Amino acid sequence: MIEYLIDGPLWYFSLAVFVIGVLWQLVAIVFASRKGDLSVARGNATSSALKNIFSRFIPHREIAPQIGVQVVAGYLFHLGLFALLFFAAPHVLFLEQNLLGFGWTPMPHWAFILSAQAAFLGLIILWLRRMTNSVSRLISTLDDHIVAILTFVVMLTGCLALLEGFTALRLLHRFTVELWLIYFPFSALMHTFTFIPSRAFTGAWFGRRGIDA
Amino acid sequence: MRIQTLLLLFCLVLPQLSPAAGPPTNQDFPQGVSSISPGSELWREIRQRDGAILEGTSQVKSVDSGVLINARGEEWARFRVTKLSSYGGIAIAAIFVIVILLYVVRGKILIDGGLSGRMVRRFTDYERIVHWTLAIVFLFLAITGLILLLGKPLLIPLFGKEVFSVFASASKEGHNLFGPLFLVSLVMMFLSFARRNIYEKGDLTWLLKGGGIIGDGHVSGGFFNMGEKTWYWMVILIGFVIAISGLILVSPVFGQGRWIMELSHVVHTIGALILITVSVGHMYLGSIGSEGAMEGMKSGYVDINWADAHHDRWGKVCHDENLIVSAEEYARLQGRKPGDSGELATEQGK
Amino acid sequence: MGEQMSESLEKGLAVLRAEVDYKVKSFFSSCVNCGICAESCLFYTETRDPRYTPIYKTEPLRKIWKSEYSFWGKLSSAIGISSSFTEADLADWEELVYDGCSMCGRCSMVCPVGVDISGVIFKVKQALAAAGFSPEGLVGASQRALEIGSPMGITLTTVQAVIKHVEEDTGLSVPMDVEGAEYMALLSSNEIALYPEYLESLVKIFDHAGVSWTLSSKAFEATNAGLQIGNKAIAGQLVQRVVDGAEALKVKTVISPECGHAYTALRWEGPNYIGKAYPFKVVHILELLDELRAQGRIQTTGMETDRLTFHDPCSIVRRGGIQAQPRNLLEPIAENFVEMTDHGSMNWCCGGGGGVSSNERAEELKLTAFNKKKSQIEELKVDAVVTACSNCRMVMEEGVEVNEMDIPLLGLTELIAEHLAEKRAD
Repeated sequence: MIEYLIDGPLWYFSLAVFVIGVLWQLVAIVFASRKGDLSVARGNATSSALKNIFSRFIPHREIAPQIGVQVVAGYLFHLGLFALLFFAAPHVLFLEQNLLGFGWTPMPHWAFILSAQAAFLGLIILWLRRMTNSVSRLISTLDDHIVAILTFVVMLTGCLALLEGFTALRLLHRFTVELWLIYFPFSALMHTFTFIPSRAFTGAWFGRRGIDA
Repeated sequence: MRIQTLLLLFCLVLPQLSPAAGPPTNQDFPQGVSSISPGSELWREIRQRDGAILEGTSQVKSVDSGVLINARGEEWARFRVTKLSSYGGIAIAAIFVIVILLYVVRGKILIDGGLSGRMVRRFTDYERIVHWTLAIVFLFLAITGLILLLGKPLLIPLFGKEVFSVFASASKEGHNLFGPLFLVSLVMMFLSFARRNIYEKGDLTWLLKGGGIIGDGHVSGGFFNMGEKTWYWMVILIGFVIAISGLILVSPVFGQGRWIMELSHVVHTIGALILITVSVGHMYLGSIGSEGAMEGMKSGYVDINWADAHHDRWGKVCHDENLIVSAEEYARLQGRKPGDSGELATEQGK
Repeated sequence: MGEQMSESLEKGLAVLRAEVDYKVKSFFSSCVNCGICAESCLFYTETRDPRYTPIYKTEPLRKIWKSEYSFWGKLSSAIGISSSFTEADLADWEELVYDGCSMCGRCSMVCPVGVDISGVIFKVKQALAAAGFSPEGLVGASQRALEIGSPMGITLTTVQAVIKHVEEDTGLSVPMDVEGAEYMALLSSNEIALYPEYLESLVKIFDHAGVSWTLSSKAFEATNAGLQIGNKAIAGQLVQRVVDGAEALKVKTVISPECGHAYTALRWEGPNYIGKAYPFKVVHILELLDELRAQGRIQTTGMETDRLTFHDPCSIVRRGGIQAQPRNLLEPIAENFVEMTDHGSMNWCCGGGGGVSSNERAEELKLTAFNKKKSQIEELKVDAVVTACSNCRMVMEEGVEVNEMDIPLLGLTELIAEHLAEKRAD
């Protein structure tokens, strides 16, 4: 019964909530009405907007030494997670069979393990930083902690099911994934998508003034 | 079973059919071993009851493939199940009992005069992150490792084989993936704290006084006292042994034979049991066991009275170099509004 | 929000709600509270007080966005759980936003998810202003600006007195109300009061370069107290005066002086305040001087031999876009110029921008924040610091004096005027 629910209706429900929720939020942001800027632009806002989406992946030289932990752990986590989400063999197969109808060459098993280790280490360090640093302790919300821990639980249940030999473990992982998908559009996880318009808006703002932000 | 025996006999017979065949030879038995039916001498040698390892040749070319039956392996298996698992489990249970008794009998180690509210910075953000990363990884490995170790004697009798198999599989995968993270965390731990854990004058005195248990209870200590230094080097050295043996165990593709795997396993488990038991004591003393200890690893600041009580040589430096911050300043640095008692200056919540 | 609310809080809340636009929605859903912005803010780095974290300064607006625009907020309201927003939730932010933020925008440069934090802080400032939670100094400044025409209470009489001195010292005349001149120059009250050498320099340079220019007796003030306090209506009124003056004199271009926020108010925000584009261009004096230099209309002689560096005024460089011009202008006249390690659009604020220097309550905090600029200067072991904003200059002079540093602050326009060649080689 549980297996049926998790592989069936709950999967479709979580997928629907995720897709509709994310699209709703993005549409509300990107297609909201906005007033034009009546000042004369010095630089090109659009090209700056696009440039900023990518340039902010690299921190400014002036601040990089002070934010080493966030940058290193942040990239370990994000790159590791991205790699294992989209290029781990079980996931590639899952996406092919359940969603897309096509797949691609997954990474070798050792790379999967390494990505997972990087993702775990990065997330543990990031969450611990959030708990130990006085700035983070002041500004972090409950949502920030839920998101970190929920993502960790999803990753952990995946790791525990790595042998792919026990239905209970597979279902546990899938269930936590579904919870994660449902929680996603109403949480800080939305930064996964909204960082793009945000960087673009700020890039445009600085760009029309002629500053490379 | 019968088919396997027949196949085995067939394989033994086959070499006899080639022109140069003779009785099976081994460097320890140049004269060969009699295989005349029923071949009891042959089987005795193969079974290695007399202790010497008989290595034959096999068409399978890999490590240890010439050893048909590994008698020592049975020793190891028996040692693991009857001694290692049981004594290990008992040791874990015992340390919890000791710690509980310690708390009940001795109670929390208090500071003379209590806490003052005036704080001094002991650990940076990075140092605390390193410690807690190691702690989380270690605890996860300890729990998954113990699940794997205590299966036969404890968990299978308690939960049955089906349930245990799920836990065992999950634990094995988790344990193997997080293992290398332990090595990484150990390296970070070493780089952050090694310098302050080097032996210095006064540490032997601390040890001889039992950290204050023997004598009048007051004993001088530096930034880290000898107890902490001992624990630190145990973690680094034994931890390193655990990590290396773990890597040997998790990647059997580099030509490791059975002997090194058995040795690695035993060393890995004993090392882990030592660290787990002592860590329970460490966790106790660092939290409820000693007044004012936890704050250092939480906020990075400790009460100056705590520093003077347990690490007076470092405490003196703090006094001399004016490193003490007042309670108000400490609250400000933690982001509390001026005038607030202890609440953070924002509602942390949805 | 089922609480008894004061009128001022209602006004503040109304502004907060009105300020939740597409950017705010995107920004608050992107922010993961990573705290990187804190490391970019001199009010945090010099005090180590987490409350000065830039994104924390936006907390009142985030609360409104959360409770009224986010899923959980709307759900809570729907099922009857109302989140409270008390007067303290706004009033307690007055000190953080007005004293602990100079609107320098360095945080907006470093946010990894691209939040224009400084822009969002300005929205909170508007709410605070509407609710009446603004520092006395700025309230007075806006009133004086509206009634007298200058936040410092400087009248045309004072300006004319300064003009008289300049004309006597230079032997040149200062054009006033010349219709049809190409450029209309503005002055900041600070320059009139503390650095009249700026006007003198303008006169000399424009004469040397053959620039057709004028002052306006009706619109000589460049500063915008409305922007400083966060009141767009007042800001718009003050901009309109400049527009009226420029239109009356039919000038092609208005020159914003060596003042940071004046450039922001006039060049970038002004048309949006008044709701229509200008019929004239706006340039910063440095832009004009650089254009003249490039055209060969400014000939300089001699070089400063002192070891010099340049302090980048935040509103002119980072938030204004004028980064290359000061370097181009210094190159021909400074033989020993070194850049601060963090320079250009990533330079550090002087600590007194955004209205902070007009806020007496913020004096101590401002001086603490100056420690960042102090460390930048000391690292370079320079003999003097050049800048192009009279407020930065004043703030840094005070900081230098309090710290017994013996480092003169030089105005860039003055420096150029001092090195003008006798007669321009035609």
